[in-house]
Amino acid sequence: MPSPLLEVRNLVKKFPGVVALKNVNFELHSGEVHALCGENGAGKSTLIKLLGGIYPSGSYAGEILVDGRPVGFHGIRDAEHAGISVITQEFALVDALSVAENIFLGRAPRRGLRVDWLEMHQRAAALLKDFGLNLEPETPVGTLGIGQKQLIEIVRAMDKKSRVLVLDEPTAALTEQEVAVLLDHLRRLRAQGTTCIYISHKLDEVLAIADRITVLRDGASITTLAVQDATIPLIIKHMVGREITDLFPRRPGWSALTPTRLEAAPAGQRGEGAATLRPSNDQAVLSVRHLNVALAKGKPEVLHDISFELRAGEVLGFGGLMGAGRTELLMHLFGAWGHRLGGEVILKGGPHAHPTPGGSIRRGLVLASEDRRRYGLILAQEIGFNLSLSSLREFTRCGGRIDAPAEQVRNQHFFDSLRVKAPGQHTRAGTLSGGNQQKVVLGKALMTGPSVVMLDEPTRGIDVGAKLEVYELINRLTAEGEAVILVSSELPELMGMSDRIIMLHEGAVGGEFARADFAQEKLLAAAMGHAHAA
Amino acid sequence: MNVRTLLKTFSMPLALAGIWLFFIWKLDHDALLGDGHGGYGRLIFLSPRNLTQLIVQFSIIGTLALGMFMILLTGQIDLSAGSGVGLIGGITSVLIIQQHWSAPLAMLAAFAGGLALWSLMGTLIVKERIPSFIITLGGMLIFRGFFWMVIQNATIPVKGLSDNLFSLITTYYLPANAGFVLAGVVAGALALLQWRGRAARSAHGLPVPPAGRTWLRLALIVGAIFFMVDRFNRFNGLPATFLILSATAAGVYFLTRHTPFGRYLYAIGGNEEAAVLSGINVDRVLIGVYVLMGATVAVTGFMQTAYQGSSSTTVGDLMELDAIAACVIGGTALKGGRGTVWGVLFGTLIMTSLLNGMDLMAVEPEKRMIARGIVLVLAVWLDMRLSRP
Repeated sequence: MPSPLLEVRNLVKKFPGVVALKNVNFELHSGEVHALCGENGAGKSTLIKLLGGIYPSGSYAGEILVDGRPVGFHGIRDAEHAGISVITQEFALVDALSVAENIFLGRAPRRGLRVDWLEMHQRAAALLKDFGLNLEPETPVGTLGIGQKQLIEIVRAMDKKSRVLVLDEPTAALTEQEVAVLLDHLRRLRAQGTTCIYISHKLDEVLAIADRITVLRDGASITTLAVQDATIPLIIKHMVGREITDLFPRRPGWSALTPTRLEAAPAGQRGEGAATLRPSNDQAVLSVRHLNVALAKGKPEVLHDISFELRAGEVLGFGGLMGAGRTELLMHLFGAWGHRLGGEVILKGGPHAHPTPGGSIRRGLVLASEDRRRYGLILAQEIGFNLSLSSLREFTRCGGRIDAPAEQVRNQHFFDSLRVKAPGQHTRAGTLSGGNQQKVVLGKALMTGPSVVMLDEPTRGIDVGAKLEVYELINRLTAEGEAVILVSSELPELMGMSDRIIMLHEGAVGGEFARADFAQEKLLAAAMGHAHAA
Repeated sequence: MNVRTLLKTFSMPLALAGIWLFFIWKLDHDALLGDGHGGYGRLIFLSPRNLTQLIVQFSIIGTLALGMFMILLTGQIDLSAGSGVGLIGGITSVLIIQQHWSAPLAMLAAFAGGLALWSLMGTLIVKERIPSFIITLGGMLIFRGFFWMVIQNATIPVKGLSDNLFSLITTYYLPANAGFVLAGVVAGALALLQWRGRAARSAHGLPVPPAGRTWLRLALIVGAIFFMVDRFNRFNGLPATFLILSATAAGVYFLTRHTPFGRYLYAIGGNEEAAVLSGINVDRVLIGVYVLMGATVAVTGFMQTAYQGSSSTTVGDLMELDAIAACVIGGTALKGGRGTVWGVLFGTLIMTSLLNGMDLMAVEPEKRMIARGIVLVLAVWLDMRLSRP
């Protein structure tokens, strides 16, 4: 048997205080799509950075072999020379440049000192055509969608004669349609002999595209499965080291409790406070009526005539295609986006007319954003700094001084109850894995003591174990009487965790569904604007 | 601890020690070791007079650097500080000498002017979204122009026939006994803070650091304070400028370490978008930090002008760059979110030691400029080099 195209033997990579890779072994055969699965923090990203030359040779122990010969990369260029191209979640594309310029970035064809634009555009056009992409080479990349950008990256890698294409979470931000297009392209490339390492949290995709699957757990390779032997439960079992029986453990919240249990629950609360908290079907904590919002004053309307009510103890799901306006709606309610043209928002019985993030938080409306690294965390600061950032008022004593011990105790409470996996609350947030970063974002929102929690894609890019913990947290919140708005692009998750779902279509309500009416086809039809056809 | 972290921790103290040893060797060699013919010269660099001089320069630049530090923490910048220093000092001199205002009133008016100008710049930066680099670059030119108009390109002395509050800022020294009393009060306050901090931690059930270590550290700090006061007393006593710097440093330390405002500075510099979504009123914090900068500029303006004895067109020239350099040498990140008060004071000490020593050695101004530039670049390069993963 010929030696594998790429082989990794006993890889160990240590960072100060953390062992990222304990012992990783795997083989990549020529012409296969090899999936890497594992929870966040299992070591996938570290492994890719070693293969891509980002962590140079000498900073790790163990061997990387290409065609059976040991190699040591000292930088990304070395790895590319060996034929390994890594495409990460953060694109290496320049938005202001055209498709052709991006494809030939840093290696534009030249005539003398000048760039040979004609040749560049001709070659780019040919590549795009070969790839079946209906794009003009002159189009600025900034105008393209995420799915198309992904494909441009792949085109670029292929033109560099890459033998191994490493795709890190390529579908994390793609719509189902775009995912299908991407997978088709990968199948075609495989038929042409390209080898691919495919990393994804979406196990159904993995099963659809991969030939073999290697599971990583806690920095070690656990097993390699052939796709015909693999099932989702089996992969998950290897990933978490135990069996998970229920993927979406939604338990009914407060509003669904029987009256007798309801009276037993808030026994300590009497009088006015208890009256406003008491959930009943005719009293909403948040009601939105005929809301119209534009991007800014004088700009076109983005959200059209949106109305809904949210009751205590309820999970209201929002679904829709990308660009349907889900994130915009949440950001607007929170006070971070848009210019309200009309309609009203009533929060806990009072108008919420000119919201600001600070004002919303004080009134009990919080948002955990979809983009943790950009909108959620101060990555350079400690976990504790981030956890208490929205709640500092609570710890401020006379003279404006923060009561540091009180703050530390409260941070520790959230650190422990959310089960953040880190040495302690003084660990920097930027060093955490995605799932743990998400827990810190949630902890920051929850520490403010909210009554309405808006979660925008709370499980994007996090592993199965952490997802379950997020779901349990949603259950806990609703059981305590908080109301949750859940935005998710994954229909199974939306259907599994919501009590009610509203599908948005191009900035308007496309359909509203009670739990009994949840069906994937109906929801999708509503998302595409065919609510009544379904 | 590996070599890299050791170097990173001690690179600044080593640099400072290097600079000091160099000047001591160059200037005080004869006084300490003799000239080889049995004669001993007089101390120059280490003389009480020069050390006092050094501390006065340190205090003036340090005060401005502390204001700049808070601006840099948020990821903003202020290039107008040096011109502001000149302008505020000029306004004060003109009001006192030409308009015959009383010194406290004139200083109050100039101080209010500083707050007004900086809150205007802060508002323009925040509300109109004009980059701070541009606004303060404009401010640098405009304030310099106003300054020259105010003093009519002349030299206005800071005092008439007798001393006033303005001129006394850099000529007043605390009497020896008062110095020791003040040191005692500070020591008592530090002890009280330590004790309260420990009590608060144990009240919340948090681990308390070993008592011995806390009190030993405190004893060392208090010892150092008394030693310093004693040194100053051998010349003229504690300079008033040093008291101003100490108060400013204590204030900025409290703000940045112990208040929500300070947290917000780090948060905004670390990730402004996340700060907004965390409910921080970023606009208000940024305007606030510019107003504080206006206050430190005004105070520095009083000190720098009084130190030079008169207001003339060159007062405050390039001081904003000295302040920025001091912050950066002390480990403050220009892109925001990182830095400490201690680092800034350390950076300032390195900067001023260099300037002071070169003054004593009568280094030509052109070479002085080059040396300042090299030190700045070296410090930043070293910092980046050592913090690379």
